[in-house]
Amino acid sequence: MNRTTRTVIKIFLIAAVTAACAAAAYYIGSNVTGHALATASDNMNYSRWQEKFFALTRATALINGLCALLWFIAARFLFTIDEAKGTGKRIIWAALLMVSLAISLGVPHLYAPMLGIKLNGIIFGLFAAIFTGLGYWLLTIFTTPLAFKYTPLASRLFRRML
Amino acid sequence: MSYYFISIGGTGAKVMESLTHLCIAGLLPSNERLYIAAIDPDVGNGNLERTSTALNNFAIFQSLPVGNDTPLFKNKISIVRPFPWNPTGHDKTLDDLIEFYHHSNTPVGNLYEVLYTKKERDTTLNEGFRGHPSIGAAVLAKKFEDGSRLTAQIEKVISEGDAVKIFLAGSVFGGTGAAGLPTIARLLRNNLADYADRVSIGGVLILPYFSFTPTNKLDELFARSENFLPNTKAALKYYSEKENLFDATYFVGDTVMTPVSEFSVGSANQRNEAHLVELYAALAAADFYSRPLHAPKIFKYICHHERDKFSWSDLPTSSERFVQFARFIFAYVHLIKPVLLDLVSGSAKAYKYPWFVDFFDGVDVTAPDVVNFTFYAEAFAAWLKQIETLNGREVFLIDSAMFEANPAKIVDKKLFATLDGSKSDLTLHEIFYRLTEPFKANSTVKGFGKFLRRLYDVCAP
Repeated sequence: MNRTTRTVIKIFLIAAVTAACAAAAYYIGSNVTGHALATASDNMNYSRWQEKFFALTRATALINGLCALLWFIAARFLFTIDEAKGTGKRIIWAALLMVSLAISLGVPHLYAPMLGIKLNGIIFGLFAAIFTGLGYWLLTIFTTPLAFKYTPLASRLFRRML
Repeated sequence: MSYYFISIGGTGAKVMESLTHLCIAGLLPSNERLYIAAIDPDVGNGNLERTSTALNNFAIFQSLPVGNDTPLFKNKISIVRPFPWNPTGHDKTLDDLIEFYHHSNTPVGNLYEVLYTKKERDTTLNEGFRGHPSIGAAVLAKKFEDGSRLTAQIEKVISEGDAVKIFLAGSVFGGTGAAGLPTIARLLRNNLADYADRVSIGGVLILPYFSFTPTNKLDELFARSENFLPNTKAALKYYSEKENLFDATYFVGDTVMTPVSEFSVGSANQRNEAHLVELYAALAAADFYSRPLHAPKIFKYICHHERDKFSWSDLPTSSERFVQFARFIFAYVHLIKPVLLDLVSGSAKAYKYPWFVDFFDGVDVTAPDVVNFTFYAEAFAAWLKQIETLNGREVFLIDSAMFEANPAKIVDKKLFATLDGSKSDLTLHEIFYRLTEPFKANSTVKGFGKFLRRLYDVCAP
């Protein structure tokens, strides 16, 4: 597989996993705690809550997906390695991980009141696990360009398992 | 088929140095083993010492399993012992060596006294024949038969059904080479006369290409550069009359005499910088080895386009393999070597270097083959720098502005991609990136050899 094909596949994978994360967060969130949250919200029934919650998961997934895409683009096109030192760039990967976590927690925190829905700790935990854990950390393990393939934490472990 | 290379004297040793680099870079034909012998009474000669170091490095790392389907390290070498063979022994004079005391006051002894001056007879020969081929011819003719195991070894190879191509290199204007080239060629031809159909002997006769100014040793016997041209003229006349000495004869010289930076009679101080003439001579050896065993004699002239400029178009070889090898060495020196020990000690993080994770599992980077390869990379850079520093003349094989030697390092990273003057996408970043891509090799390619093979492959344009 040549490098261009690999790049296209990885970008497609980032998009696909981001969409999958949105779907997973919506499905799990709706089924695990959706009924309770819909009841607790004012002027809200379950189907309206689901509608709003779907908007929330979409927004969070989209913004979070940009973190994974940004890391990919930086590692693939922006970072230059022409010295033995200065490789790895884990600090940037870790910074984006923190940004992803901030998005996973911050977007629902800010956007849910605007949508008029209530959330609980389960949703925040779910978002952190799905969007940061799966949609950034795990996704970058498999989509990071090869020159930085072991930069994401535990990348060696996962890649060896494959 | 086996190849033999016999260096004779200091200039021969320098040709051997160039040949060693060509051999390691995969520029010799086919995959034959190269047996290397050296004849030099000046065993402490700095030129020989430098060559020996590169050779001994390669002798150790040549066994790295890089695979058989690559030019890299494809010609294995064997060093013929004793290396170098010293025909004079220690602290011996010409009188000692030809056992003059047995012949004094005899007709032969009287003739000998007429042919050699008192100074020639009484000077110890620890530092070679000091530009006096007449001394060398007498000593070599007497000592070659019983002192060198070379003929016996070649006979052994031939008796096993193998054919051999023997190539001799030396100067015709100095002492040891001028004496040794015709003498050794003749003795080999006589000794191997029974196997004439399986032996081919070639030689490169190096014509004057350097000069020097002796300092405060005027009473000693030593080579004088003002004698180089008369010596050469006499030698060439001799060779023109001895048609059957070599099956292929190459003459290489230079119209410009490069001054030697520091004059030395011999020994460790005789450490002359590598010269393009020696590279041409080594390429002559490669050409000889590539020809059929009994190829008809041909006469070829090569010349270069401009007196003071040399580039790949002036050399009788293509640049691709050499350039790939140079790229491989400098990529190793720049991207790999600086962090290798840190990675093993744990002071550098392995995740930053995917090639380390992928290739160095179980590799001991303090093992002799790894250490010797690293030493060799230094030697190659030093040699290349010297080749390209030709007393004001412009030599452009690998862009010399890109790198420095001692220690070897890249000083201008931007020039790496265009190191042979042609445009390419092979930046250091590209090399690093390619190193991390999947690589499949057969099971015999492993360890540090597998890594070097990968690094070499990714340096291909």
